Amino acid sequence: MTKRDINMSKTPDFEDLQQRLNLSRRSFLKTTAAGAGIMAAGGLVELKFGKEAKAFAYEPYPRDDQLQTVVTSCAHNCGSRHMLVAHKWKDVIVRLSTDDGRYQRGGYYGKDGNEEPQLRACLRGRSYRQRLYSAERLLYPMLRVGERGEGKFKRVSWDEALDFVAKKMIHLKNTYGPTSILDQSYAGASYGVLHKSDQIEGLLGRFLGMFGARTSSWSVPSYQATTTSSRWTFGTIQDGNEDDTYAESKLMIMWGWNPAYTFHGGNTFMYLRMAKQRGCKFVIVDPQYTDSASAYDAWWIPIKPNTDAAMMAGMAHYIFSNNLQDQEFIDKFCMGMDEGTMPEWAPQSVNGKENFKDYILGKYDGQPKTPEWASKICGVPAKDIKKLADMYAKTKPAALKASWAPGRNAYGEQYSRMAAALQAMTGNIGKLGGCAEGVGKAWHAEAVAYPYDQYANIWFQSIKSDRWAHCVLNYPNIKREEIGLWPRQDNTDGQIPNIKGIFWQGSDWFNQLTNINKEIQAIKKLELVVCMDSTITPSGIWADVLLPVATHFERHDVALPWYKGHYYIHRPKVIEPMGESKTDFQIFTELAYRIGGDVFGKAYNPKANRDYFNVNDNVDEAYLREWWEGKVMHHQHVDMSWDEFKKHGVYKFKLDRPHVAFQDQVEKGIPFQTPTGKIEILSSELANIEDWTKTKYGYHIPSIPKWIEPWESLNSPKTSKWPYHLISPHPRWRTHSIFNNCAWLRETYEQEVTINAADAKRLGIKMGDIVELWNDRGKVVVPVYVTERCMPGVLVLHEGVWMDLDKNGVDRAGNPDFLTLDNPSPAGAFAYNTVLCNIRKTDLEHRPGWDKLATSRAHVFRRDD
Amino acid sequence: MATEKKDVKKIREAVKRVKRATYTPVKPDMQLGFVHNNVDCIGCRACEMACKDKNGLAPGPRFRRVQYIEGGTYPDVFAYKVNMSCNHCAEPACLPTCPTGAIFKRKKDGIVDIDSTLCIGCRRCEAACPFGAPQFDPIEKIVKKCNMCVDEIEAGRKPYCVMACMMRVLDIGPIEKIWDGSLETVAVGKADKVSRQVKNMANIELTKPSIGFVAHSKGKVK
Ligand code: SF4
Ligand code: SF4
Ligand code: SF4
Repeated sequence: MTKRDINMSKTPDFEDLQQRLNLSRRSFLKTTAAGAGIMAAGGLVELKFGKEAKAFAYEPYPRDDQLQTVVTSCAHNCGSRHMLVAHKWKDVIVRLSTDDGRYQRGGYYGKDGNEEPQLRACLRGRSYRQRLYSAERLLYPMLRVGERGEGKFKRVSWDEALDFVAKKMIHLKNTYGPTSILDQSYAGASYGVLHKSDQIEGLLGRFLGMFGARTSSWSVPSYQATTTSSRWTFGTIQDGNEDDTYAESKLMIMWGWNPAYTFHGGNTFMYLRMAKQRGCKFVIVDPQYTDSASAYDAWWIPIKPNTDAAMMAGMAHYIFSNNLQDQEFIDKFCMGMDEGTMPEWAPQSVNGKENFKDYILGKYDGQPKTPEWASKICGVPAKDIKKLADMYAKTKPAALKASWAPGRNAYGEQYSRMAAALQAMTGNIGKLGGCAEGVGKAWHAEAVAYPYDQYANIWFQSIKSDRWAHCVLNYPNIKREEIGLWPRQDNTDGQIPNIKGIFWQGSDWFNQLTNINKEIQAIKKLELVVCMDSTITPSGIWADVLLPVATHFERHDVALPWYKGHYYIHRPKVIEPMGESKTDFQIFTELAYRIGGDVFGKAYNPKANRDYFNVNDNVDEAYLREWWEGKVMHHQHVDMSWDEFKKHGVYKFKLDRPHVAFQDQVEKGIPFQTPTGKIEILSSELANIEDWTKTKYGYHIPSIPKWIEPWESLNSPKTSKWPYHLISPHPRWRTHSIFNNCAWLRETYEQEVTINAADAKRLGIKMGDIVELWNDRGKVVVPVYVTERCMPGVLVLHEGVWMDLDKNGVDRAGNPDFLTLDNPSPAGAFAYNTVLCNIRKTDLEHRPGWDKLATSRAHVFRRDD
Repeated sequence: MATEKKDVKKIREAVKRVKRATYTPVKPDMQLGFVHNNVDCIGCRACEMACKDKNGLAPGPRFRRVQYIEGGTYPDVFAYKVNMSCNHCAEPACLPTCPTGAIFKRKKDGIVDIDSTLCIGCRRCEAACPFGAPQFDPIEKIVKKCNMCVDEIEAGRKPYCVMACMMRVLDIGPIEKIWDGSLETVAVGKADKVSRQVKNMANIELTKPSIGFVAHSKGKVK
């Protein structure tokens, strides 16, 4: 064992500290990165002395200043992007810290505040080393040997794995044609400007498109309702403000929004606190009294799931009938809000004859959408609907933040559009402290450093993402509208894709899409399932080939903000790739060479040579430098050089004015990006559709926002058999399914179903009991959390837990997607939150995995005095 | 609870007598302590994770614990968080129970720490602490606890948990300043008052913990 000399002569309290840290005894073991050993030991093996020096050691105890400091960031689709600072010893990351104000230009320890706030990581980010060094880390290429889903694999060489994939791909394309391979890439585990796994235009899409076999998946699981809605209404999905503007609101209505869980945007939650301190009033419309509700001291309005559009219609009725709308704003910027803002072509259009106000007042169907009418549907007392409408119409500026979750429903797009109508009629669009979100994407980052050309998004058919199993199981006897086929301009328009293989890149979609039992049926029919990931995920278990992908700690990239925030974070290669893992860019490049020789290889990765699979550093650096110099410095007027950026690790933009969506439209009269240049409450696209089956929607959608009864809810007759409405929000302790295997996170939160206390009492269920939840689609087993903080009739089970099936197909882990229905909304929204089911105490086995360590419930105290 | 029937004053005096008989605590030159805003904390546990990671802890021991408190009856409910690690108490109950003298309190800033090379894992301190701060590590079979990231403090920085707080509602400082409201910190809002005792925590007379809270209206003690 070698002692490490520490120069502490400058520290006055040297003796005391030495005693404290016991440095002579806690001297750091020299470690050798040993890929093979890592997985077995969950730590690093000290080869020379045969002693363990773990990545998770209480001792030896090096101080930060003795370690090398490397700025990097998180890299997945959590809805945010925070800084991680790796403190490493040789090739081992010993601990992580986060932004403390030191790293940007002109920064210093402790610098914080509105202009350049620290980008502090959340609990998931802070637990990253557990993911990096986890037992589930995928280190070698593997080939399936058992049945699909049985989880039996053998280790193979890269040669063998890649040749297997290449041959299969060629076979599929030659036999079944250009739609035979389904692209299920997602931003799950691999998001940066260079190594990008993206649903639409990522590395995989470009690879399969160039190869000539790609069916793509167009609907986004989290927020398709508002994506489609904002495109119709505003002509863009950039409908968001930067998070610092939240501090300027006087009223904040958080509709289904829980940033205390989702950390939406770099510092959203902190700016909301600032707003509260300045006297902003908070309202939460949600079936749960969330941690956001308590932290912002909000007025909680519990609402029946999937009835949001009805309540909003009730609010609109109150506003119109009391003449509280901002008529000047409406007249100037809106189309179709009322009779006076109807376009000339309306009477001749197929679907565009109705205006929003007259719909609300009941002129067309004889049913005024009064607060009393809405109350019967949504369960909110009419007086509360009126009170909220009154507050919203009279407080200026007021933010109605219409979050994504209520849109993940049957006809979720109606909720999103109804919200936009309210935002517009109160004149809160384009104003500081107001809000037009929606999608919420704000500041625009330069997002692409990888080769981007005419091949970036080639597809031969494109389907609604959660209809792939339906497509595979029923091929070719399906109508195009059943799978939401995107129209094509050539003679392949309307052809049903013949999917025979799936590629997962940075996505655990098999675990995450709806109706998993149907997916299980479908996957058995495929001839090739490839999973590229750094972790052995539940999807991976169902694959034929597992390709180990280097994590973002093991490759060079730059992070961009995902949702809000204006900065770039450098992501150098902090440690060497573990095991035999390669970057996804390396894998696709190598496959391209194997399939199509130099022609395909060079075209796919123009800066690389044949040896890129083994040596990638210089090529990656060249792409990144070109991106920085060409796009960031040039387009975004950044004066910091690439080398200086690398030295600092972060670049934070200072904006001339707070970023507010549509400010120029409202202040300077620049047209909105819609066909008419107006805020289209009446969508001109929808108004003119004749044959719905020929559209990607497949089915009729009203041209103005309307309340449409969902196919199941607490109001439907099905409740006699399935009395509970299940919602599955995003958890705090995972990003979807990522981090599910991290013990640190699982000891603080457990996968459990939330139930209202009175419901539980009636069912004889107590806190911590094991229950089963079931419906026609499947059955799951979980412990229960009994609380007054949840609306009666509603169950909450967070998405993303790793499925764990018993021999009868019961999920012992509690994944809600065994109960969801693979029936998307016409606009493409996943109906994740449109689920009825039943619940009862059970003797069925629950397999908590790491959850047996969970102490979270022990830390919820009830007090009544 | 049956406290009304007992003579609390008498018990308190007896406790003091016992403590004095066994141990005279170190009087630090300046006592450092934590401050936590129970209301504005979103309960995200980033502070907990930062601590686990920094200290290389296995699943199990949790130096910092964010307690969730909730109550009321639907739909009139409330919730708040009480976040505690070790309170580096003025009169630490853990310290005198240690048979090997592994626990010590620093003169300079009052930090209470355990010398892990002396700890034999008898768990007496764990039983003695009214706040649950000492944590037994079932793998290494010793007791570990928060040392206020003394290495960071020596380096002129703040503890990992404080620097992790996404809401900036957790901080450290000289405890007297925290209590009298003179510490400059964003953890405490302009209109907020700091209290030493909140509900859901043991009586501060037991050990005089070095911690202050911004209490929730339902968490205030009269
Ligand atoms: S919010 Fe997202 S980016 Fe930020 S630390 Fe957490 S997981 Fe990482
Ligand atoms: S001060 Fe350090 S050891 Fe103590 S709870 Fe905070 S992070 Fe953990
Ligand atoms: S990090 Fe801050 S906001 Fe989050 S639980 Fe800890 S004290 Fe609360």
